[in-house]
Amino acid sequence: MPGFRDRTAIAGVGYTPFSKDSGVSTLTLAVDAVTAALADAGLTVDDVDGLATHRVGDSTPPWVVAPALGVREVTWYLDQFGGGSVSHSVVAQSAMAVASGMAETVVCYRAINARSEFRMGGTGRAPAPVFDVQYQAPYGYFAPPQQFAMYARAHMNRYGTTHEQLGRIAVRQRENAAKNPRALKRDPITLDDYLASRWIAEPLRLLDCCLETDGACAVVVTSRERARDLRRPPVLISAAAWGGGDSMFSGAGSTPAGTDWTVTEAARLAPRLYRMAGITPSDIDVAELYDCFTYSVLVQLEDYGFCPKGEGGPFVESGEGPPVNTHGGFLSEGYVHGINHIAEAVSQLRGDAGDRQVPNARTALSTAQPGYVLAGTSALVLRSDQ
Amino acid sequence: MIVRPEPDRDSRPWWDAVRRHELTVQRCDACGRLRFPARAVCNACRSREASWTPVSGRGRVYSWIVNHQRFAPSMTEPLTILAVRLDEGDDLLMYGNLTEPAELCEGLPVEAVFTDHDGETLVNWRPLPG
Repeated sequence: MPGFRDRTAIAGVGYTPFSKDSGVSTLTLAVDAVTAALADAGLTVDDVDGLATHRVGDSTPPWVVAPALGVREVTWYLDQFGGGSVSHSVVAQSAMAVASGMAETVVCYRAINARSEFRMGGTGRAPAPVFDVQYQAPYGYFAPPQQFAMYARAHMNRYGTTHEQLGRIAVRQRENAAKNPRALKRDPITLDDYLASRWIAEPLRLLDCCLETDGACAVVVTSRERARDLRRPPVLISAAAWGGGDSMFSGAGSTPAGTDWTVTEAARLAPRLYRMAGITPSDIDVAELYDCFTYSVLVQLEDYGFCPKGEGGPFVESGEGPPVNTHGGFLSEGYVHGINHIAEAVSQLRGDAGDRQVPNARTALSTAQPGYVLAGTSALVLRSDQ
Repeated sequence: MIVRPEPDRDSRPWWDAVRRHELTVQRCDACGRLRFPARAVCNACRSREASWTPVSGRGRVYSWIVNHQRFAPSMTEPLTILAVRLDEGDDLLMYGNLTEPAELCEGLPVEAVFTDHDGETLVNWRPLPG
């Protein structure tokens, strides 16, 4: 795929602090994260000609952020509808814009007050007006932890996946977060702590769930050549894929796969992604996998080909495979809806991840919500420019 | 009922039938494929001609959760929510609450129960005897 592979790069990453109450608007969070990412890259607002984000009615769009930053001229922008399933497609589409010449320097951001203002579970507000919701919400089924609990139960039914196997994911990610100064939760937890945590929606407990977080994160996308002249080592956008088809949310599948909740859209996307990158799963040194809930990690280990279908539970217990969610993920670092996984992959590939650095990390996979809700997913393969 | 159902232009006939205690799905008049949730176009043959057709009201539990977190003010007690595949087709999936205690497992046979509240009717599920 010479048209896309390795032509663009991530030149900088930026964060606001993560908290439970930012005390500021999502506009302020966006401005702060974009400014931090530009500083990391050694660029200024005058270099920006593109801005991109995604949101579900919970954040500030590019045409408000651009004038607030003082961007001189926006030649391309993206205001993608969607939640965690589109997070990586925002960066992928920005890379396409740069590769095609529509823009030279695009800053992708996600800014949310997901605890203090707009809680994703619907707590304190009406369920989202999606067409399937009418068949579910009257019964009390509309919040993401419930949906992933339903899918996790299907996996447990079919493959005998256990609570302890899900718990291993939570415990290991907390160990990673202990080495991450940005992480909201750094105190270690044990498997017993996990098993003692209260039910949210059986089979998922509190410690299966991501941290509702206020915060923002941004990454700078530019051409490989331009990135090579900037302050930080470039991280190449080697491959990207996104798409979807079946809505497992409603069961309205257009193919037989739509009726099997143990397989996600990621299983269809992964071969496309690896083909574009020219790699196999064994080439991946570090994986930052969307972890709205522990089960999301387990099913992606299968669907991205690290282990066979149905063996995610034993695979997690074995500790095999690449390091996963080295920053602690949404479970322990904070939930910025996907982009903080991309930023962590960049840190690992630049070699500046501090105490949590994976030695000699050259190739990283980072993924979005695997396609259970809203029927699509997206993912990136990133690699160091060496 | 946790929140009131909000029918759309495709689903209003389905909700009207539920209010009459009739469980239906759409049958494509051109190719015969059954479909649910309600929508105007067949995803197998793209025909817009369809008829509402009764189903048996029997299905099998595919997955379930027991909700504890109070996501809405009316969720005061643990609540069992089922995902049921109808006997008429694995891609005909309906949700609902479990109305009687049961030892749940994948494949457990269940039947639809109509529950009236405040002028609305919901479809819930109970284990089939035997």
